[in-house]
Amino acid sequence: MIANKSYVTLADYGSVDNQLFMPVPTRIKKVVSLNDLNKLFTLELPGGMSLDHRPGQFVEVSIFGVGEAPISITSSPSRSNSQFELCVRKVGDLTSAFHNMRAGDIVGIRGPFGRGFPIEKFRGKDILFAPGGLGLPPLRSLINQVLDERAHFGRVIILYGARNPDELLFKDELKEWGDRKDVELLLTVDKGEENWKGHVGVITTLFKEISIYPRNTIAVTVGPPVMYRFVLMEFLAKGITEGNIYLSLERRMKCGIGKCGHCQINNVYSCQSGPVFPYSEIKGLEEAL
Amino acid sequence: MSQNGKPKIAFFDFTCCEGCQLTVIDSLQTHPELLDVVDIVQFREAMSEKGEDYLVAFIEGSCTRESDEERLRKIREQASIVIALGACAHLGGINSLKALHPLEDVRKYVYGDKADWYETYDARPIDAVIKVDGEIPGCPIDRDEFIACVKALLMGKKLPIPDYPVCVECKLKENVCLFKKGKVCLGPITRAGCNAICPTYGASCEGCRGYITNPNDDSMREVLAEAGLSVDEITSIYTMFTTYQVQQKMKQGKETV
Amino acid sequence: MSVTIIQKQDFPDFVNRLLSQFRVSGPVEEDGGYAFRVIENSDDLRLDYPTTILPPKKFLLPTKETLFEFDKSGNGTVQAPVVEPRTVVLGVHTCDLHAIKLLDRVFSTGHIDPNYTLRRKQTLIVSIECLTPCDENSFCKSMGTLSADDGYDLHMTDVGNFYTIDIGTEVGEELLQYAKTAPATEENMKKLNAVISEKWPRFPYRLDFDISDLPSLLNMSMKSPLWEELGERCLACAACTNVCPTCFCFDVRDEIDLDLQHGQRIRKWDSCQLDEFATIADGHNFRQSRALRQRHRFMRKGKYILEAHDYLGCVGCGRCARACLVDITPVGVFNELYRQKEVGGQS
Repeated sequence: MIANKSYVTLADYGSVDNQLFMPVPTRIKKVVSLNDLNKLFTLELPGGMSLDHRPGQFVEVSIFGVGEAPISITSSPSRSNSQFELCVRKVGDLTSAFHNMRAGDIVGIRGPFGRGFPIEKFRGKDILFAPGGLGLPPLRSLINQVLDERAHFGRVIILYGARNPDELLFKDELKEWGDRKDVELLLTVDKGEENWKGHVGVITTLFKEISIYPRNTIAVTVGPPVMYRFVLMEFLAKGITEGNIYLSLERRMKCGIGKCGHCQINNVYSCQSGPVFPYSEIKGLEEAL
Repeated sequence: MSQNGKPKIAFFDFTCCEGCQLTVIDSLQTHPELLDVVDIVQFREAMSEKGEDYLVAFIEGSCTRESDEERLRKIREQASIVIALGACAHLGGINSLKALHPLEDVRKYVYGDKADWYETYDARPIDAVIKVDGEIPGCPIDRDEFIACVKALLMGKKLPIPDYPVCVECKLKENVCLFKKGKVCLGPITRAGCNAICPTYGASCEGCRGYITNPNDDSMREVLAEAGLSVDEITSIYTMFTTYQVQQKMKQGKETV
Repeated sequence: MSVTIIQKQDFPDFVNRLLSQFRVSGPVEEDGGYAFRVIENSDDLRLDYPTTILPPKKFLLPTKETLFEFDKSGNGTVQAPVVEPRTVVLGVHTCDLHAIKLLDRVFSTGHIDPNYTLRRKQTLIVSIECLTPCDENSFCKSMGTLSADDGYDLHMTDVGNFYTIDIGTEVGEELLQYAKTAPATEENMKKLNAVISEKWPRFPYRLDFDISDLPSLLNMSMKSPLWEELGERCLACAACTNVCPTCFCFDVRDEIDLDLQHGQRIRKWDSCQLDEFATIADGHNFRQSRALRQRHRFMRKGKYILEAHDYLGCVGCGRCARACLVDITPVGVFNELYRQKEVGGQS
């Protein structure tokens, strides 16, 4: 007998994931200010749950009453299972509300979502990282995993550019990386300041400083949309093949599950197929770059 | 802040019909809990007390005489947040239509032989005189949108004013398009947020909420022309609420009407 | 499967008995137009309606719905409040039936959408055979949606004094317990067959090419100058996507009560034609021009959705064409792209 006017709820249907849109209440353990606009949040899922993410993936962060936004995970899965880190730049309502939160407060987390970096394919290779500006936080996850498994990789080269010295993020870690013998770190800023003694110029000006063996190099870049064309030209000029170049495409992922349409790049839902793509996969997509 | 922790807000009026403030009073009927979260310290339309220590000022009406500027600046000095309430404050609105005629003629038409007694100049939106932190559009404002804006202000969020056209709301309500009924309507370019109240009741949208950020003006004008409007009629429907904006653009040489 | 008939004089009684058991919706006349509404009386139904402003999709994916309720502190707040009564939707045209089949696939592929799934499972669809074109804008015959073999619980055909009923599902068959039915006689079947065979010539093919060529045509048209022309005309009012039976993009937002403590996360229809759709937090818009937005819309309809879900994203209902104030229509666009290709091929 078919049901009549009686109401049913999701609980009556066991097969669907009725938690799909439900964020997991997640406690902020620590907040560190990186500069005027960026804060680093350490979060801990309840009940010892682990995030089980890959570098390059993102989570949907809920600030209840403000909304939900995609934020890439900046911590490496090799560092901690129960805790993870998000680097948040204050640009809109949600990130401003996030900045106002303190240790002990609760945010909602869904995810991790998307395709991260295929780190297993990177093993045995030289890795050339080229983050620009806010591209460092998502790449930091991968860089730290590579460094934690340092023996499995060849050379590690990091070219990092920011607008000015203050905007260079994770300065302590930059120093750590720079001090390591097995990491080649080059920094640059678009515009120097009095105390800045380093390189001045856009990130592409660092490429002439390095020499690489293209056939054994994986190149990875994350940065603002305007940067990609120029960095890609440098990678290709060095002889790195399109399939060995990886980048992450930021879009406005509203659902994270390939439905809402906001993150679509031509026919590709970047929340599902991305945000990390090999260049060979997206170079034919008109809307990618 | 009041001693009870509630932010103090105040309402002010300049040249207007006070319809937006009536809508605020109306919203207090439907949302009396508003008074649980804010203290109204000044509201000439609704109360006689006058507190001067307000945090948020809602200003209705356009500025139509030089002597009003001083009062506006005083409000700006006191208030941390100034919100333009309704079309007159937001756009200059209907009042700015008088700029289409010589000021002396307008003055004589309204005040007759007492014309010299009254001071006036071209009507302008509040942000032409003082910095404004947000605008609640509409003639009059929408009650629900006003409440949503108060909530946003209390949460430190930007005002939730849509940047899409009235057509969106109108379609979702399944109204028969007014163009299909032989009427014309500015719904395709006018900022939504009113829940398409005019078209819902069969009246054309006249653009009281101002236009979306990127309206396709050329195409909209063609649509109106195809519907049988002359160039003059198109100009007059376009400038009903936005004479001030159109004239500013013309002054900057960006547009000819 | 055998065909059943309901005499037209007995149909109101069927609907009224359904009304006592289910929420019932169907096409009604409003202000000179038609809309699917929840009805209270069989007299309100207009099964001979040409088309509705919004498709019946709205019962499965409401224009605005609550995903969950929350407490601002984030503590113990989340719950799924979706509750739905069993709903019978009467008088669904076959174009809309095809659209629902697509939506079923979209919302059950990969992550299964709980809200859509619940509403879908609570919805019984009684479709109706179209016998004349809605108007000059419909192009269902070109899109292959002028008939449907499945996707309905019951399917009705108006055969003069009676409706024939095709039974699509077991629950559909159970619905018939509320109707006075009779097995179709040979005479009934002859009449039905005549009605069906007479209807097809009434519907024109409106595309100048075979629909199976549409994806490759679009594939060749990424750089067509037509998109710029559309962009110049398009008002970006989003009427086309809002009335579309296959559009499913949505926005997710929070609404909060005046106590600033409790609120709801809501999902509402969104449109790729609007400025903010592909804009990220820092203000960068990845589909800034109206031309690129229109291109995206048509690529989805004729190519992207097909590639992802094996169904075309356009069912030929013509609603977008009717709603557009600047005469941007799928038939016009697809035929123009075809013409450009043919001209290009000859030169």
